[in-house]
Amino acid sequence: MGSQVASSPVQESHRPADGVIIRTEDLWKTYDMGEVAVHALCGVSFEIARGEYVAIMGPSGSGKSTLMNLIGCLDTPTSGRYWLNGRLVSELTDDELAHIRNKEIGFVFQTFNLLARATALHNVELPLIYNGTPAEERLERAKEALRVVELGDRMYHKPNELSGGQRQRVAVARALVNNPSIILADEPTGNLDSATGAEIMNLLDRLHQSGNTIVLVTHEFDIAAHAFRVIGIRDGKVDRDERMK
Amino acid sequence: MAVYTPAGVAARRAHGRHIQLSGPWVTAREAFWIAVETLRTHKLRSFLTLLGVVIATTTLIVVMAVVNGMNTYIAEHIANLGANTFVLHQFQWAQSFDEFIKAQRRNKPIRLEDYDFLRDYLRGYQAISALAQIQPGPEARYKGTTIDEVDLMGLTPSHMDIGREKVAEGRYLSDQDNNHNAPVCFIGRDIVDKFFPGTDPLGKEIIVGGRGFRVIGVAERVGTTFGISQDNFVFIPMGTFRAYFMPRPELLVFIKAPDSKHLPELEDEVRALMRARRHVPYHEADTFGINASDTLMSVWKELTGPIFAVTIGVVAVFMVVGGIVIMNIMLASVTERTHEIGIRKSLGARRRDILWQFVIESAVMAAAGGLVGVFLAYAVTWAVAAVFTAKVPLSAVFIGLFLSAAVGLFFGIYPASKAARLDPIEALRTEN
Ligand SMILES: Nc1ncnc2c1ncn2[C@@H]1O[C@H](COP(=O)(O)OP(=O)(O)OP(=O)(O)O)[C@@H](O)[C@H]1O
Ligand SMILES: [Mg+2]
Repeated sequence: MGSQVASSPVQESHRPADGVIIRTEDLWKTYDMGEVAVHALCGVSFEIARGEYVAIMGPSGSGKSTLMNLIGCLDTPTSGRYWLNGRLVSELTDDELAHIRNKEIGFVFQTFNLLARATALHNVELPLIYNGTPAEERLERAKEALRVVELGDRMYHKPNELSGGQRQRVAVARALVNNPSIILADEPTGNLDSATGAEIMNLLDRLHQSGNTIVLVTHEFDIAAHAFRVIGIRDGKVDRDERMK
Repeated sequence: MAVYTPAGVAARRAHGRHIQLSGPWVTAREAFWIAVETLRTHKLRSFLTLLGVVIATTTLIVVMAVVNGMNTYIAEHIANLGANTFVLHQFQWAQSFDEFIKAQRRNKPIRLEDYDFLRDYLRGYQAISALAQIQPGPEARYKGTTIDEVDLMGLTPSHMDIGREKVAEGRYLSDQDNNHNAPVCFIGRDIVDKFFPGTDPLGKEIIVGGRGFRVIGVAERVGTTFGISQDNFVFIPMGTFRAYFMPRPELLVFIKAPDSKHLPELEDEVRALMRARRHVPYHEADTFGINASDTLMSVWKELTGPIFAVTIGVVAVFMVVGGIVIMNIMLASVTERTHEIGIRKSLGARRRDILWQFVIESAVMAAAGGLVGVFLAYAVTWAVAAVFTAKVPLSAVFIGLFLSAAVGLFFGIYPASKAARLDPIEALRTEN
């Protein structure tokens, strides 16, 4: 009982300053694999401010995706604290987390994760459906988002009727349709050739220029070069954090 | 280039709060179209899945149609056998088999003496008539044409005021005909259609049961009962009937009260007179039957209870079986679409959104099964109506559809809640 009373002021004192959109504090993620416990993250702490363009780099298996999933509120840490827009995520209910995924976060996955049976337009509409945007406005905004990614002429194509680059652009359109606070992209070019990869990176650059916060996972240096800051991860720990440009 | 700025977020978010209200409705529509899409892409599988619901709905509607048809039929036909008419006969109609066996030993046929007695001593009736019949009906011939079986009946002319048969041409049987055992007949439409297509039947002689009868009148068409024509009759005078076919026939005596108020009184009177005439001790049962059209009505009403009870049982079993099959298919569907669920959750679908999606899919699927059942029921009812009587009441359609949707809803809850509880990241990692 007593500890609970004491814990509140402690949290308050750790609250991130205004303008900080992401703050993690000693994040651990441990997978219990029966005999052994796999530590995917071992105490990760950093802050990302509004409007930043950050690349997270590291070798395979270093915990980048795990970290992204935590930031994206898709997963919960084993221990540690995470503030998003000043709210302590670990205190949120399931519905509130869903609301955050819907409103605050635009996720772009390496494997696109589009609904195979739905058209590009419907895929982009989905986030709006889940916050109850009326049909007319929804359609308007989804079309607008598709035009931003230059797919205005492919709205009624299904994913299997689109190229890999086009699919990823649909995914980007879907990520930005709700005007999220951050766009999270986990190896968005991982399944694309370098030319189409460059297209997607161009798109992200433009989104950053227009004020979006972008966090990007990659293990390619020329992709990371698009960002203004690189956070290096190795064995579940931050091993460097440098600003560039 | 359109601009997506975080500055716009705050404005939209304020706006979003009241939009939230329409959320469930929007997801319900999404869920509805997903369900329709699933049905379209897996037609055969869906049909097999829904067989239980289809059968249940069809059964329910067909039974309701038959009961409804019977009700209409009874109201229209038996009831108009004479609203205020009852029939004195050796047996009580539509009684249990046991009682019928007992009555078989105890009851005595109604004879002409009984008829004469009642005609003379009964008070307050509007009309009384006697009817005798040969079973099975004899063959009828006219020139080269033959009808294998006609309903040959001997009637007192007073039956004109009681029976359903109205004169279309010529005249009815008269007392004169009866007293002189005249070889004349009053025939139904079927006989006319067979023997006298396009010619005037009046005055022609037809051979029935080996005897010649001159046609003196033709009845208006009566119609069919349980799909059996009621116009295949040859009426002859009771006297003639006795002289030619049966000197001591067993009778049905028709008695008509002036109005419904006097009907019970008149029945009691007939009962008292008959019991006195037959010296039935007061503690013993009647040795005859008094049958009113409402006796049949009440028997039918008693029958509908068990019919509905059995139907509810059958429908419930099929619905539950159908529901369990739907539940299993939905569980398989949830597993199959785990990745999709993960995607939806990653985009902000709440538990209840996913719950709704699958519950509605299940309900829509079952309702579609109900719809197939409705069509099937109409087809079956159409076939039944050709030989019996049936008519689908609109309420049956609504109940059928509502019930099947409810079954889908109920049995969709478990698979849907499984889907809703999936962990977003686990679901997203599942590849299929
Ligand atoms: N669901 C899981 N169960 C068990 N271990 C897991 C799970 N997910 C990740 N891991 C482990 O956690 C570690 C970090 O994985 P993660 O996917 O975050 O790596 P990554 O940096 O994204 O690698 P890559 O560059 O190959 O995508 C790995 O050792 C991995 O085996
Ligand atoms: Mg990864």
